[in-house]
Amino acid sequence: MSFLKGNYFLGFLILLALLVAVVQNAFVLHLLIMVFTSAALGLAWNFIGGYGGQLSFGHAAFYGIGAYTSTLLFVHLGLTPWLGMIAGGILAVVASLILGIPCFRLRGTYFTLATIAFAEVLRILVVYFKEFTGGSIGIVLKFNAGFLNMMFKNREPFAYVALGFMILTYFLSVWIENSRLGYYLTALKENEDGARALGINTHRCKLIALMISAFLTALIGSFFAQYLTFIEPESEFSLGLSIGLTLSVMIGGIGTAMGPVIGAFIITPLQELLRIYISGEHQGLQNIIYGIVLVVVVICIPQGLYKWIVGTVLKKRAA
Amino acid sequence: MEVKKINLGYGQMQVLKEVSLHVGDQEIVSLIGANSAGKSSMLNAISGLVPISGGEIRFEGKRIDSLPSHEIIEYGIIQVPEGRRIFPFMTVKENLEMGSYNRRAREKNRDSLQRVYEHFPRLAERKSQLGESMSGGEQQMLAIGRGLMAGPKILMLDEPSLGLGPIVVEMIFKVLQEVNRQGVTILLVEQNVKESLDISTRGYVLENGRVSLEGAAGDLLKNSYLKKAYLGL
Amino acid sequence: MLIIVGQSLISGILMGGIYALVSIGLTLIFGVMNVVNFAHGEFLMLAMYLTFWVFHYLQIDPYVSLLIVTPALFLIGVVTQKYLIQHLIQAEHYTQIFATVGLSTIMANAALFFWKADYRMVKTSYVSSTLTFSDLVVSYPRLISFLVAIGITVLLFLFLKYTYLGRAIRATAQDIIGARLMGVNINRVYIFTFGLGSACVGIAGALLMPIYYAFPTVGLHFVLTAFVVVVLGGMGNITGALFGGLVIGVVEAFSGFFISPELKEAVYFVIFVLVLLVKPSGLFGLTKG
Repeated sequence: MSFLKGNYFLGFLILLALLVAVVQNAFVLHLLIMVFTSAALGLAWNFIGGYGGQLSFGHAAFYGIGAYTSTLLFVHLGLTPWLGMIAGGILAVVASLILGIPCFRLRGTYFTLATIAFAEVLRILVVYFKEFTGGSIGIVLKFNAGFLNMMFKNREPFAYVALGFMILTYFLSVWIENSRLGYYLTALKENEDGARALGINTHRCKLIALMISAFLTALIGSFFAQYLTFIEPESEFSLGLSIGLTLSVMIGGIGTAMGPVIGAFIITPLQELLRIYISGEHQGLQNIIYGIVLVVVVICIPQGLYKWIVGTVLKKRAA
Repeated sequence: MEVKKINLGYGQMQVLKEVSLHVGDQEIVSLIGANSAGKSSMLNAISGLVPISGGEIRFEGKRIDSLPSHEIIEYGIIQVPEGRRIFPFMTVKENLEMGSYNRRAREKNRDSLQRVYEHFPRLAERKSQLGESMSGGEQQMLAIGRGLMAGPKILMLDEPSLGLGPIVVEMIFKVLQEVNRQGVTILLVEQNVKESLDISTRGYVLENGRVSLEGAAGDLLKNSYLKKAYLGL
Repeated sequence: MLIIVGQSLISGILMGGIYALVSIGLTLIFGVMNVVNFAHGEFLMLAMYLTFWVFHYLQIDPYVSLLIVTPALFLIGVVTQKYLIQHLIQAEHYTQIFATVGLSTIMANAALFFWKADYRMVKTSYVSSTLTFSDLVVSYPRLISFLVAIGITVLLFLFLKYTYLGRAIRATAQDIIGARLMGVNINRVYIFTFGLGSACVGIAGALLMPIYYAFPTVGLHFVLTAFVVVVLGGMGNITGALFGGLVIGVVEAFSGFFISPELKEAVYFVIFVLVLLVKPSGLFGLTKG
């Protein structure tokens, strides 16, 4: 597995940075931005979903908190999104504690249901308090180019930021994998009671994983608010988003650092291309395709492409 | 019932290695051995719950080793499993009636029920009680009763005495003898060596997945190795 | 004031009957097969659309089309079980969840693709009729739907308690090895149970058409509610699902009135989380009745 880490991957990242610098085509840049953020979101989810083994379909909650916090601070107080997104991240961490402390007692499916309910409640609340949040109409961010506003005339700077997120989340993942927290998480994923018997504070481990996950997800939510200059409850807090961000993880390999990256590089261009070439009349067709992909992948290659490839390569070497 | 040289493995572990045994009509045969010697696996293989990898299992001349479990039941091969496995949220009566689920046994439901109540009057007293609220001994009676409801030609029991006091064990073994006298063949898997050999015609000793001793029950009881290893004498 | 409370109560109970029916299908499947079907809501959506098309093209009243929709959904359930769910039973939890989520996405978007996003309603002659008891007004179709829902629940209960197949299903839920050793064909039980659960949802769909409307994502709201009911009543507990459904219906009606219509979902999700925390086995305990 190490043949993809270390030097090769660093080289790959430099290549990507160069790519961003060189490419002028706005669409390709947009594609790269989508791939990077998709990878970053997947990696962020992976902390709790993959390493922690707790499936959350409510991550849109954290994404939305990030998006709304930084946007509201930006629009009403003029606070730069660079700081706003940290504020969003912190709020997301608080939210994750509200979710995690009670709900980590729940196992498996029960926890997943709780996360869905959590995101739904947030969505409902955001729509309800419309004087404060703009309700279901959403908020439009007035475009005003400038570094402090995190708004740029062309897409290159956005792409760098997105790449930065992906690099950040990737190396955090690798760091966690090899840290004590990572070992504890692996242990409790295999056998939670056994891990606790060994003295591991399983709740604390899961909470830390969730907090990291929430923080990072919120950051990306803020970033996207700046990139798209529009937010609304339906998009930011939707179940579709929660499910969608796990797609790259499932395809690439849950519980690995490379997995979400590979998954993002494969599925995101496909998603964007489908969105363009299948116009509005064929609404829903691309989601049908994602659904089919999800089902097929999950049944045929549940461990994800990365582990599958590594497994086949290892088998061939052993033979 | 004829088991010829079967192999059974779970992943890397070979649990049964070329084991053969046979049970003649109306015999009581004991299968003895320590924990994880492979005894339960033997019964599960016969019942069709786990596949074997090599060898064959025949009943009344017909091969049954690749049949699904519900078809094997129809032949009259009934297992009373380890741990009883009664239905906790069904009443005693419902548990027993579940025993006669298979087609052969369904018409005889009423008669079977009557006979089970005769063997185990305690069950008749508690017929509307939920399975989970019964004591260990009562649950064992219920499990055996349920097995009898299925109209067995051969009744296989997996450690019926486990966790039960000596009086209950004695009573259960008496019932087994009675049932045998009424024409049911019995294959008894036990750790309780003396009690089971006492009522058996023949026995087999299973150690580490192989048959280490076999013979008439009386001879086995006099066997010095057996006496030292299993009877502590 | 009392009248308003009474009105809410009735409205809540009537809707609760339908929630109960949707949830019963879900809890039955979970209790027997230990599979959480996230696509359960899409089955409901399918049933609603089917009822709509039958009414639209054949002018058959929804309550009569029950006879068509129910077996149709039963068959769809059987097919889904055989070709998809069967593979998921032994699989890891996350595979189950993802696969059924994927199925849900496929179904909802297929509906969107083929039938567009417009709301579909069934307009029968009695859609707006009401009955009046002193000062309380009861919507006629809601009452009928409620009564049918309760009737089906009772029938289901009797089926499970007194028929051999029904008992086989309960036995499988309570101890699968014990059931196998009694000659139960577990595969057949699974197929039948899934079909049965789907049929229940199918009935609920037909009953919903005179009082609600169909659109591609209608399943989402109901499936989330169904999960709340199932957890409230205890996973695998049919009577629990019935009472849970009524409770949720009433809670929804009351919070809609006393707090705010927009927040009613939030209220019962909060209850959902509370129940999960305090008594995850449901208000009605562990029984798999």
